[in-house]
Amino acid sequence: MAGLKTALTGYATYKGREGHINFLLHRITGLGTGLFLTIHILDTALVYFNPSLYSEAIKLYQNTFFGIGEILLVFCVFFHGVNGLRIAYFDLLAPKNWAIPSERASTYWTWGITLLLWIPAAVVMLHSLLFYNYGLFGG
Amino acid sequence: MAATSSQTRKVAAPPSNYEAVAWRWMRYSAIALIPLVWIHVILQDVIVGVHHMDLSYVALRWANTGWRVFDVLLLGFTFAHGVNGLRQIVIDFIPSVQARQVVSWLLFFFWLFVTVIGAFAIIGGVR
Repeated sequence: MAGLKTALTGYATYKGREGHINFLLHRITGLGTGLFLTIHILDTALVYFNPSLYSEAIKLYQNTFFGIGEILLVFCVFFHGVNGLRIAYFDLLAPKNWAIPSERASTYWTWGITLLLWIPAAVVMLHSLLFYNYGLFGG
Repeated sequence: MAATSSQTRKVAAPPSNYEAVAWRWMRYSAIALIPLVWIHVILQDVIVGVHHMDLSYVALRWANTGWRVFDVLLLGFTFAHGVNGLRQIVIDFIPSVQARQVVSWLLFFFWLFVTVIGAFAIIGGVR
């Protein structure tokens, strides 16, 4: 329990600014993606183990609650990917970038690229959600 | 020559143990996962969309061996990366070396169990 308290207190109070925000977002988006991934592997496996249940699962994913979750999931995937690529590049090829100025600048790049990828995707998915679930835009 | 900037620090290369290998593989798999996951997500969630998903769509996709190989790679890389990432996070909260080992083994069996189920489905196909 002491370990849990120490780690959580560190998460909440460490004043690492941009780098710390990316650290936390990387873990949160990773856990979110991983949770969905586990469910997704198991639900897709239903096409082999129980095909009629697969159809039920897809119907569930088509409802609005899961639709909003899917849009958030795509944000998690893009942020985790962009930030992960930054980490992999720094660690494997350019460790000198692990200094406050370049790390801070690179976090802004990750946020910008993430939004550039996510916003168009979110618009398309939101459009489908409104089209199929609410009959908007001629749906 | 001034002393090393206070904003950088030199860290000796870690001895190559299991954790060091896992640490490196999180980076290698990350690079592989960018094309694998992004193509999958952009295609299935954005371009095709969940409202066009059904058994016959999966059957059509898996009629193509290339997509089956793609999905095997996706399953192999994503879930291993994900469960090891979960392990790294959980271990941060556990000070005891013994408890860390127990958690690591439990997560290993969890990874194996889900991966085998997923692999069965991709190889077996739509029934």
